[in-house]
Amino acid sequence: MSEPVLQLNGISKHFGMTKALSNMSISLLAGEVHAIVGENGAGKSTMIKIMTGIHQPTSGAIKVDGATRVIAGPQAARDAGIAAIYQEPMVFPDLDVAENIFIGDKSSGILTRPAAQRKRARALIERIGIKLDPSRIASGLTLAEQQAVEIARALSQDVRVLIMDEPTASLSAHEAEQLRKIAKTLAGQGVAVVYISHRLEEIFEIADCVTVIRDGSHISTKPIAEVTSDGMIAEMVGREVGNYFAKAASTATDEVIFEVRNLTLDGVFEDISFDLHKGEVLCMAGLVGARRTDVALALFGVTPPTSGTVKYKGQTTHFTTPRDAIEAGIAYVSEDRRKLGLAMPMAIKSNVSLATLNDFLSPLGLLDRAEEDKVAHHFSDRLNIRTPDVETPVGMLSGGNQQKVMLAKWLNLNPELLIFDEPTRGIDIGAKAEVHDLIRTFVAEGGAALVISSDLPEVLAMGDRILVMREGHQMGILDHTEATQKAVMMQATGQMQEAV
Amino acid sequence: MLSRVPPQTLRILALLLVLFAVLLFFSTQVPNYLNGRLFNRISSSVAIMALIACGQTLVILTRNIDLSIGSTVGFVAFATGSLITNNPDIPPLVLATYSVLLGACFGVVNGLLVAYARIPSIIVTLGTMALFRSALVEYSDAKSITTNNLPTWLVEFPNTQLFTIGTFQFRAAFVVAVLVVFAVHIALTRLRPARKIYAVGSNPEAAEMAGINTKLVVFFTFVLAGALAGLAGFMFLARFGTITVVAGLGFELKSVASAVVGGVNIFGGSGSVIGALIGAILVDLIDMSLVRWQLVSEFWREAVLGSLILLSVAADAILMRRLVKWRVAREKKQTKSGVSS
Amino acid sequence: MKAALNRLQSWEGFLLCALILIILMNANLSPQFLSFSNQINLFQLSIEKIIVALVMTFIIINAEIDLSVGSMMGLSACAFGWMVQGGAPGGLAIVICLAIGIAGGALNGWFIAKVGLPSLVVTLATLIGFRGLARVLVEDRGINDFPEWFDALGQQGFIGSIPFALFAFVILFVALYIVLQRSGFGRKTYVIGTNRAVADYAGINTGRHKMILFMASGLVSAFAGLLYAARVGAVRGDVALGFELDIITIVLLGGVSIFGGRGTLVGTLLAVLIVLNLRNGMALVNITGHIQTGVIGLLLIGSVIAPRIDLTRLWRRPSGDTS
Repeated sequence: MSEPVLQLNGISKHFGMTKALSNMSISLLAGEVHAIVGENGAGKSTMIKIMTGIHQPTSGAIKVDGATRVIAGPQAARDAGIAAIYQEPMVFPDLDVAENIFIGDKSSGILTRPAAQRKRARALIERIGIKLDPSRIASGLTLAEQQAVEIARALSQDVRVLIMDEPTASLSAHEAEQLRKIAKTLAGQGVAVVYISHRLEEIFEIADCVTVIRDGSHISTKPIAEVTSDGMIAEMVGREVGNYFAKAASTATDEVIFEVRNLTLDGVFEDISFDLHKGEVLCMAGLVGARRTDVALALFGVTPPTSGTVKYKGQTTHFTTPRDAIEAGIAYVSEDRRKLGLAMPMAIKSNVSLATLNDFLSPLGLLDRAEEDKVAHHFSDRLNIRTPDVETPVGMLSGGNQQKVMLAKWLNLNPELLIFDEPTRGIDIGAKAEVHDLIRTFVAEGGAALVISSDLPEVLAMGDRILVMREGHQMGILDHTEATQKAVMMQATGQMQEAV
Repeated sequence: MLSRVPPQTLRILALLLVLFAVLLFFSTQVPNYLNGRLFNRISSSVAIMALIACGQTLVILTRNIDLSIGSTVGFVAFATGSLITNNPDIPPLVLATYSVLLGACFGVVNGLLVAYARIPSIIVTLGTMALFRSALVEYSDAKSITTNNLPTWLVEFPNTQLFTIGTFQFRAAFVVAVLVVFAVHIALTRLRPARKIYAVGSNPEAAEMAGINTKLVVFFTFVLAGALAGLAGFMFLARFGTITVVAGLGFELKSVASAVVGGVNIFGGSGSVIGALIGAILVDLIDMSLVRWQLVSEFWREAVLGSLILLSVAADAILMRRLVKWRVAREKKQTKSGVSS
Repeated sequence: MKAALNRLQSWEGFLLCALILIILMNANLSPQFLSFSNQINLFQLSIEKIIVALVMTFIIINAEIDLSVGSMMGLSACAFGWMVQGGAPGGLAIVICLAIGIAGGALNGWFIAKVGLPSLVVTLATLIGFRGLARVLVEDRGINDFPEWFDALGQQGFIGSIPFALFAFVILFVALYIVLQRSGFGRKTYVIGTNRAVADYAGINTGRHKMILFMASGLVSAFAGLLYAARVGAVRGDVALGFELDIITIVLLGGVSIFGGRGTLVGTLLAVLIVLNLRNGMALVNITGHIQTGVIGLLLIGSVIAPRIDLTRLWRRPSGDTS
């Protein structure tokens, strides 16, 4: 057994109060495809960032070829032969394939020599085992082809550890198969391949060993022969029973407020169908690439669907802008509060009134600031937003409080349907519980909620019913009486051993 | 197949087509149009703008803009003029080098502020445009350079006929400008370090991740733009002889227009200096032809120029969107049929 | 009182102190400086630019830019001259000029909001285009036979000794202040400039908002062009050439961030006063116009660098900008 190419020993990473990784240890051997599985938020991306030098560990050591090494930044990672490719390829759209591969190359001298470069590119592409014309412009390539370019770039820099982070999430079946072949080929050439995926069938196809991580900690590492999908799933979700979220009583009525049939957006998701009742919380569960947010955006009017029908309160609707949805009484609390949810430099009260601005205007169009103040204070109390005053810029609040301000903005609409996208992401446990209470109160008072969440305990605690999605397809709807973390995860990963 | 031909080549071909069409059109409207005289007049005036547009292209490629380039031209023209007036024995090459280096110094100022102080280029170059112009006024002390005081070789240089083809006179200024533009083009396409300019404009984050020193690259483009503006200043002095404090005013807009019309993407990352050259020729051609076209008053020049820019940028943007849609549709088709190319 | 002190710690407060400093320096140089008539006179000489700067403030806060304002001023002035010379009644000509302003702004707005082109490029093109149209109308002549009442409006006092333009400025300032700081439209301007996606997701029609802004910019520029023509009494093809640079410089100096989302009209006004008084002061010590422009250019760059250096942390109210 040779020395591992890369080794993480007892790595911990803290971000302020949050512990992203706890005492994580992993050994990567040359020529091996090492799969890493874990649910969203388990710590996989933090681990990758530490391996590629983007983050520094709070404690613990990294060893390259047995010798301790500090990977101070992306360049140091490259020098150590560590490269990563992600779902979103980082290519230069205006340059051709060959140039994309060799752009950072330090060894090629001062002249470009395009013919020679193309030849070298072709050799690398062949090594990967696909067909790609090196003179094609990158903007014209498919996603899979762009990923291949990235892999070729890594190869050109003598990669020794290639990390592939959910690489097949956006690919077609055929393209995914090709990518898996590439991973296998590279391992055969001596590269240590780290393969992160939630497609369990892929793992069985190409992995030599599997590491399961959960809540930032290492759970197990086993050779593939000893791994079963049941076992993997159990380890991924295995928590102490007696979740910290208690399931509240359901307030769902029989009145259908939202009827979705065969909703399809070409190339993104297809055939989504469900009913949403007044007083109900329907959770949408799934893993990366499930396309739940895309469904929500289609329902909210941001990207209108290609086909399918949506009936809101019995009327067929056709929202083409968010304004349409808002006026109908539908609100969408986005998952990215920084980019889409809040105007960070602006005051709390300005954010709270944002979606309902017209309600605060006098006939002349002037803002009623007193009213704005009042409403902001009202929500501040009701949602328990901890802040010195409502003039404070939202950017200065903690994550949990920011989330609440976003909620306040939408609650102010008095919506009948609220779509929550990862409502408790990045906030502490106390705030999480508060948000859950708010959602519960909202539906108890007659609203309906669609909650997209990757937090399994949350999904189980909140959902009267759980709709599981996988790669743009609807896998099934579980009633809370029959839902367990394992059942949800199995559908989310496509292991449909239990029929719904 | 279309995805294999570099879009740049397509754009240049399209431009040449437009050039051809414009020539054809005006030849039907204006008597005695297509002859050597037209060529000579355009080549003389394009010589200066070609260099400036070339420099502007380099800056635009990295997603920046240089509004101070006109002031640089004016200052260098004046400084060079005053230098040679007071020291008539300076050899031509030394003088030209002086102009280039002086222009480069201005580029250094811009480059430092944009690349390292990270101030948006529009603000920096708005400021340096005013700054350099006022430096010119201060330096010139409100005097002007006049032709009489300049050595004859300088004044005659632009019009020196290097060779002729029929009635088409290839004059020194034009030839030098075209050679310089081609040299820059070759550098941009054949020198590895120069390719980084495209990378930085195409995807700045990917460039950083790939280990490219983006700050240095941006800095360098501003210095080069300044150097080219300096050379243009030298040519300006040679052509006009008399330099006042308003020399070069308005050049920045025309240089951006030439670049944009010439296919340089205003968002950065793609475009060629050859395109900018053709853009400069096209702009000047239309300008000059309108003057001679009886049907339309010559005063329509700027209006036409403005519309031209708008149309080219809009056409570019719409074409890009079509291209993206087409690509997505093609991906979808391939995905469905399970084939990858 | 605490609120007032708090406000003083912002960029506007810094500007105010700078202004006071400059005024004191100037008063030292020349005793007449502080006289009312001098200040009014100073102001009046650039009043057209100042008026346009008010609207430009909105546009830059909205994270856009309008380079065509100077050319629209020129176009409107030239159109007026052309019509009046052709015998059109002055009142009608004025109305048509204002309509031209709105139309020009709509042209900008259409390409920016509907086609989605960057405002820098679009307004660069219309800068050239509008100027071109002005030249088509006026060619290389100058026009100066305006109706008497028009000239009087521009050159003589309107109410007492206060010229019409100043009067218009005050009304516009008050109105726009109310709109920017107190109305829904102003709030939307800030939000869209801070983060357009957030505004879109909140159901705000950002495209229409931008269209309105650019139309307003066109209208106000056209109006300012007319004021300029009235004050100067004549128009030529190059009237208001290069004004946009001064206007944008003033707005940026006034604390409006080029990235959008920040800035106030008060800041713009203070910046105007600083620039005017600074120029006046420099003139008093015999520094020429072009050099003055250079100093202003330096000031512009300095105003952007300064916040990056910790020195001015003293002045800045803690900003909500976390990334």
